[in-house]
Amino acid sequence: MKKLVVIGAGMATGRALEHLFETEPGAWDVTLFNAEPRGNYNRIMLSPVLSGEKTYEEIVTHDADWYEAHGVTCRFGEKVASVDRDRKVVIAENGDEVAYDKLLFGTGSNPFIIPLPGHDLDGVIAYRDLEDTYRMMETAGTPGAKAVVIGGGLLGLEAAAGLRMRGMEVCVVHLMGHLMDRQLDEAAGYLLRKALTDRGIEIRCSTNSKQILGENGKVRALELDDGTEIPCDLLVMAVGIRPNVKLAQECGLAVGRAIHVDDQMVTSDPDVLAVGECVEHNGAIFGLVAPLYDQAKVVAKTLTGEHDSFVQREVSTKLKVTGCDLFSAGDFADGEGREDIVFRDPARGVYKRIVIEDNKVVGAVMYGDTSDGNWFFGLIKDGTDIADMRENLIFGPAFQGGTPLDPLAAVAALPRDAEICGCNGVCKGQIEDAIAAGATDLGGIRATTKASASCGTCTGLVEQVLAVTLGDDFVMPASQSICACTDMTHEDVRRMIKSQKLTSMAAVFQECGWKTSCGCHVCRPALNFYLLADWPLEYQDDPQSRFINERKHANIQKDGTFSVVPRMWGGITTPQELRAIADAAEKYSVPTVKVTGGQRIDLLGVKGEDLPSIWYDLNQAGMVSGYAYSKGLRTVKTCVGTDHCRFGTQDSTGLGIKLEKTLHGSWTPHKLKLAVSGCPRNCAEATCKDIGVVCVDSGYQISIGGAAGMDVRETTLLAQVATEEEAIDLIKAVTQCYREHAKYLDRIYKWMDKVGLDWIQDQVVNDLESRQAHVYRFELSQSIYRKDPWAEHAKKPEKYQPLADLTLEAAE
Amino acid sequence: MTDWIDIAALEDVPQRGARVVKTRFGCLAVFRTAEDEVYAIENSCPHKKGPLAEGIVHGKFVTCPLHNWVISLETGLVQGADEGEVITCPARVEDGRILLDSTFLTERAVA
Amino acid sequence: MMDTVLDAPTRTFIEVTEVWVPKDGRLVLANGNYGALDDFAAVSGQESFGPGEGLPGKAWAEARPVVLKGFEGSYFKRTDAAKAAGLTSAVAIPVFAGDILKAVLVVLCGDDKNRTGAIEVWAENDGLLMLSDGYYGAARHFEWVSQHTHFPRGQGLPGGVWASNTPILMRDLGSGYRFIRAESAGTAGLTTGLGMPIPVPGSKTFVLTLLSARGTPIARRFEIWDARKAKVGHAREAVLIDGICAREGPLWSGETEKERRVDAWQGPVGKALGSGLPVVESGTPALAAGYESMVALPIWHGPELAHIVAWYC
Repeated sequence: MKKLVVIGAGMATGRALEHLFETEPGAWDVTLFNAEPRGNYNRIMLSPVLSGEKTYEEIVTHDADWYEAHGVTCRFGEKVASVDRDRKVVIAENGDEVAYDKLLFGTGSNPFIIPLPGHDLDGVIAYRDLEDTYRMMETAGTPGAKAVVIGGGLLGLEAAAGLRMRGMEVCVVHLMGHLMDRQLDEAAGYLLRKALTDRGIEIRCSTNSKQILGENGKVRALELDDGTEIPCDLLVMAVGIRPNVKLAQECGLAVGRAIHVDDQMVTSDPDVLAVGECVEHNGAIFGLVAPLYDQAKVVAKTLTGEHDSFVQREVSTKLKVTGCDLFSAGDFADGEGREDIVFRDPARGVYKRIVIEDNKVVGAVMYGDTSDGNWFFGLIKDGTDIADMRENLIFGPAFQGGTPLDPLAAVAALPRDAEICGCNGVCKGQIEDAIAAGATDLGGIRATTKASASCGTCTGLVEQVLAVTLGDDFVMPASQSICACTDMTHEDVRRMIKSQKLTSMAAVFQECGWKTSCGCHVCRPALNFYLLADWPLEYQDDPQSRFINERKHANIQKDGTFSVVPRMWGGITTPQELRAIADAAEKYSVPTVKVTGGQRIDLLGVKGEDLPSIWYDLNQAGMVSGYAYSKGLRTVKTCVGTDHCRFGTQDSTGLGIKLEKTLHGSWTPHKLKLAVSGCPRNCAEATCKDIGVVCVDSGYQISIGGAAGMDVRETTLLAQVATEEEAIDLIKAVTQCYREHAKYLDRIYKWMDKVGLDWIQDQVVNDLESRQAHVYRFELSQSIYRKDPWAEHAKKPEKYQPLADLTLEAAE
Repeated sequence: MTDWIDIAALEDVPQRGARVVKTRFGCLAVFRTAEDEVYAIENSCPHKKGPLAEGIVHGKFVTCPLHNWVISLETGLVQGADEGEVITCPARVEDGRILLDSTFLTERAVA
Repeated sequence: MMDTVLDAPTRTFIEVTEVWVPKDGRLVLANGNYGALDDFAAVSGQESFGPGEGLPGKAWAEARPVVLKGFEGSYFKRTDAAKAAGLTSAVAIPVFAGDILKAVLVVLCGDDKNRTGAIEVWAENDGLLMLSDGYYGAARHFEWVSQHTHFPRGQGLPGGVWASNTPILMRDLGSGYRFIRAESAGTAGLTTGLGMPIPVPGSKTFVLTLLSARGTPIARRFEIWDARKAKVGHAREAVLIDGICAREGPLWSGETEKERRVDAWQGPVGKALGSGLPVVESGTPALAAGYESMVALPIWHGPELAHIVAWYC
């Protein structure tokens, strides 16, 4: 009999033995070493064992009877100490020598443990084998036990879902921006995150771990980069695997990232084969089960002397979490000449994306409806030419006539108690009832429910409710969508952001059915503003969705240089500041220095790469960014007021400084300019600003909606208040109201024309409780955004430098 | 045969962002899309020479920061009603590194 | 691998299973398995229920699963016949497709001194699933534990069913660190749990769990079939996604194995798939693995038949 020694009883070697015994029963004398004290079980089914959905007995693939029936000598729980390839013997830990004709490596892989401080504490485990699984179950048995899983990939999420089923509080910490970033794109990652959050699993993406904290040698918490501590009794690291090549390396086989094998699964030694996660074939290593089984088949063929070749094929991925339907196959990144087709059905939580290259499908991602996954997978594997079905491809094989994406689906999906008209507190159900009672148009709804009768921003939504409810009986007035990426208007999208609590760009794209994968230069800046204004704490500002001026915190000029304007609070400066400005202007050869209309000094013609240094210098002199570039607070212009002027009635300069200090850093739909005049002579020109204050003997007149650009407008009086404190509150409140309701790129006067001064007064003047609520929300947002961007950017000057300088390289 | 020059790590360019590479023949803007594809094109809009590296990247397009011309990163062609073209340079990513085609740079010297 | 004791002949936990379907505004008997209880069968065959009448009518009118323990003096209409047959408790499960009642499945259980098991109805209350009611036979302590356990979304069998909106099968309930209520379940001898969402009109959430004990099993074989087009790819087809059988062992298929599928009207599961109604079969020779009786219960997601759960004895 031919002697075969197998090192490692895993899924790949198990399958190889099955094939071998089928082809040549009784021809082989097999010795099987396994470091784990048991035979082969279906490792990929550990997750259902963890969650309780399966038992260990059910995932055993080869039990003791099977090994006995095939005459396999099992040496379980024994490690192999070394291999002597010259004498063709395997040496066990206890010194036993087992001779072989053929040797098969199936040493698999080891989990990768991040060497964070504290990684050796008790309670820090990987998720790889049955011991890990039992350990997790044991900890979960303690009531109130908490777990942290590092790694939001396939394995990490399965571990998290299983632990959650077992009753643990679970937090997943993931380094990348979205879950399963290797298999999914951002949109699918968003839907997956939503489904898992819905199960009570806390998910933290873009999060770096700093160290693992312990107590009496046992894990106590994970500390993140930002200092946050997440308490835990168990910490599972599921960040990846490393092929286990130690033994192969020691016995001198050719090893790269893993054990090198040829198409016949033979290593650099013709009598030694390798299979599974420990092999490297044509530069690739393998973690999913399908290629492993293909390899096993080839191993058996090679051993029996038949010719067969292992060919790498596309693989597809799915997550074993009950109720999460996702599918991912092929390649959906990296490459020129590719285009993609995106389909979203927000109402059903469906997202599909197909990537096409040279009329072939090269990648597919699906969430929510995976029924066509295997069909697309087939197209990828076979390299089918899809030129003829391109138009309807995304609808899958069953497509007949097609159902174009319904822009009303999002409205149809709103629950009956979803508020449609915020001004008058009218819900979707009330409008539906009014329609049932006979209202058939906007006028009818306004008359019966008052919905859209006040500020009117919900008009589009009311019309959509009419359209959804009445069907063809209602003719929708044409409305202006934000851009070609969507059929929704600004108002529609904003309402979705608020009512559905959409706190990320990916969430908006999905729930509002965006037709492009990542928006365009028209919608992204608008969405970025809406999201940060509505969810200041939850949403992370996206610099890549900002126009250059706001991204670089400087005004781009027509020649590509920038202008730099330091803030001068209320237009007041000092000799030291002026000296620093002069120094900077000389040091960086600023060609033009100009006094602006907003009482500031503008340094024009600064080169992009000099920005961080000039900011640093100005910062050192105590000056901060003037936000002269922003859709946000620009300047508060003042006159000298009671300090010096014989006509002054109040301290207008003081109020201007206070306003600027409290409002600076806030983002608004368009630029926001203020002025404070100390008396009705109005030297600060307050009556042509977005918000103007004119001081009078009895207090402060606050007026809004002025402009002095292409349109010239005089402000309209909002209210007169008695104290400076009240004036500041009212200005904060009206600014917040503008932030919450105006369309992106509408100045206050445009917004005021749409909603009416009366409505604004109802919100922030007459109703003191509402005014305070606006002030509160403004301050909440300012807790994040009232900061100096210069200081932050000056810390990372390399971002402003060229990526590389090839002027010398190319000259060679 | 193409000779590739290693420029930088992929991470050095933000997603949906760009960085500038200086060459003897002017600046190239190296873009990284949301899908981690990398493109290199001339950093100058055919309209008024706007710095394209500072534009908003969406899909495989960039919008010029000066006057909103939309330019394909793949072909260098201006989209929509406007007309024009920028030079493109072959670029690819390998093992997390951005590579540019050096022959492209030398050929330009000849031309 | 499975315990052979599980297959020993015993009296089962559920004695009677019946399917009531709406006809002309009343519920009439469509199908039933009465075992040897012929008299009770005869009485039931003549009965019909309007909305709110009797146990099936109550499940219909109130659009929720109803547990009734003790028939004496209750709204139960067949009290005398049930008493004569030794039946003491019943659970009625409405099957809704969206707003439309398709059927009511009623199970009746007998004398509870020697038999253990659990049929539980969980209802959402303030963001937690709490026990609405349940029938436990002799598993008194487990009943008490269940009454005092609340499940957040995603946690345990009921919470998992709620979060995923799919049926879930759990094994080895009692062994060690498994099931949340493991300790007590172990003492009570409970081994296998099947949880399923019971969709009803409106926004209320109900989860039904069947917990089967070794000695007096609710069933010896459980199956979960997925019929969603999003999973199966074709309407009117279903794939076996999980299952456990005392005679055949695990029923799910591995990553690279061929799936088990049925078409509409093919066998009892196919019949439930085709009709959208619960199916009760008994004495049919061709049932899976040679079992004598089976129940297939369809679960709808709105207008789509999403899953079928089946149990065999």
